[in-house]
Amino acid sequence: MTLFFGYVGRTTLNSLFSFALVCQLMLDTLNWLFLQPLLGKGLRWRSAIEQFVEFGARSMPIVGLITFLVGAIIALQSAYTLEQWGATRFIADLVGISALRELAPLMAAILVTGRNGSAIAAEIGTMKVAEEIDALEVMGLNPVKFLVVPKFLAMVLALPCITVLAMFIMIAGGFFVSVFVIDVDAAVYIEQTMGALKGKDLLTGMVKSFFFALVICWVGIYRGFQVEGGAEGVGRQTTSSVVTSIFLIIIADLVWTILFYFL
Amino acid sequence: MNAEASADNIIEVRDLVVQYGDHTVINEISFNVRRGEIFVILGGSGCGKSTLLRNLVGLMKPSKGTIAINGEDFTAMKDSERSLVRKHMGMCFQGSALFNSMTVGDNVALPLREHTQLEESTIEIMTRIKLELVGLGEFADYLPSELSGGMKKRAGLARAMAMDPEIIFYDEPSAGLDPIVAAGLDELIRQMQNTFNVTSIVVTHELESVKMIADRVCMLEKGHIIGIGSLEEIRNIDHPYVKRFFARKSQPESASDNTYFQTMTGETKTT
Ligand SMILES: Nc1ncnc2c1ncn2[C@@H]1O[C@H](COP(=O)(O)OP(=O)(O)O)[C@@H](O)[C@H]1O
Ligand SMILES: [Mg+2]
Repeated sequence: MTLFFGYVGRTTLNSLFSFALVCQLMLDTLNWLFLQPLLGKGLRWRSAIEQFVEFGARSMPIVGLITFLVGAIIALQSAYTLEQWGATRFIADLVGISALRELAPLMAAILVTGRNGSAIAAEIGTMKVAEEIDALEVMGLNPVKFLVVPKFLAMVLALPCITVLAMFIMIAGGFFVSVFVIDVDAAVYIEQTMGALKGKDLLTGMVKSFFFALVICWVGIYRGFQVEGGAEGVGRQTTSSVVTSIFLIIIADLVWTILFYFL
Repeated sequence: MNAEASADNIIEVRDLVVQYGDHTVINEISFNVRRGEIFVILGGSGCGKSTLLRNLVGLMKPSKGTIAINGEDFTAMKDSERSLVRKHMGMCFQGSALFNSMTVGDNVALPLREHTQLEESTIEIMTRIKLELVGLGEFADYLPSELSGGMKKRAGLARAMAMDPEIIFYDEPSAGLDPIVAAGLDELIRQMQNTFNVTSIVVTHELESVKMIADRVCMLEKGHIIGIGSLEEIRNIDHPYVKRFFARKSQPESASDNTYFQTMTGETKTT
């Protein structure tokens, strides 16, 4: 029993400590993202654009494929229930609303976590182990400005962009199944989708994906800087960055779903 | 020990204590480095050489004591002042620490691009000069992963030289290299001192290398200084650790049952 309380206490303390570290890192990033460029210290645009291409464009094929399939799956699953009432045209509503409000942001975030969140942790961790971060500091180059800010900027811009595309592709997946498998009239499906979706649904999805982007890059960066020891440390932190990130994404998703439900 | 202040000293370390948590790695050491000399810090693995170096370049904050560089207290500086001082320092890391995502040329050019307003064409010329200096003129477009260990170390030196520093710190420059390549690197260290009058602080555990380069040697054991002086003076110190070190004798097995017990239970760190 004491063991249990000891464990809870220690975990809480550790989490608080990590939280303080993350806050420190965040303030540093905001400083180098907004304040220092105004003071003429510049921003590493080229690096940010390269990262944007990596996070955004290169993630698009897999995100597109998976969201298309998920759209098809939801269409089929809802057809299973709706057919009994002869209400197959409402598949469009279900697919559209879940794509915008929930599944496109979530699927995109989870895929980008696996693809890029882990890569961020691994890259920073490897640089730390190889003393490259120290080398930056000795040269008088700030690691936050140099490494963190470009990744942060790129992720916060890239994930919402991917998410919007993912929304369309998911709806296309639903459309494809409904029209060619379940025999819903194409025009009806489109009309039904247009009628069902509101601006607020899009907004919900975008707000979520913005926060998911924050989670993904923060967890990746934080875990990367946490790496100690050699290659083994990099592996451990990379794995744990994916687990932590997905966990926090689900939590953030829940919080925003609740908020938007009542708003 | 000869630790009195003087204008000739480029670095003055006073009563330095460094700890990792409760584990004291550097214990109250004081020494001076004179302008233009090659100062070698000699000691076995795990005696705190890298830790000492990390403090000298400001990558770690000491628990106690001061480090003055050109007469200014480096430990008490604000980050902005420290990065000014750092422009006059270069460091060669144990594993070279080249940025793996950039070519060798970009690695060397990086400090110039970030800290100076020079034209790109000027930077390219300067980069080439630095690379020629370490014999890597043709390798500017190679990635670090395409170089051998010795070449990486030399590229690291070229990068450390990029801003024409006053002081260069070397962490185990010849470790992990074959004797011929290691000798080449030692020659380079000498050459940097002769040609550019840079002060060099070299951390090493290789006696061969010390013979070639050292003006003065500081012998370190378990975070204490055993002696400072020329290699001959150090060799003649009557101290069991020094004797073993120069005779390449192994550590005698645990002196007492008590320390043996501590080692087994992991209460003291021995690396
Ligand atoms: N990050 C660290 N955390 C805790 N202890 C460390 C750390 N780095 C080094 N040490 C300890 O400090 C001592 C000196 O290490 P180091 O300065 O790397 O030695 P050297 O470079 O002389 O081989 C060792 O006993 C090592 O275990
Ligand atoms: Mg070392």
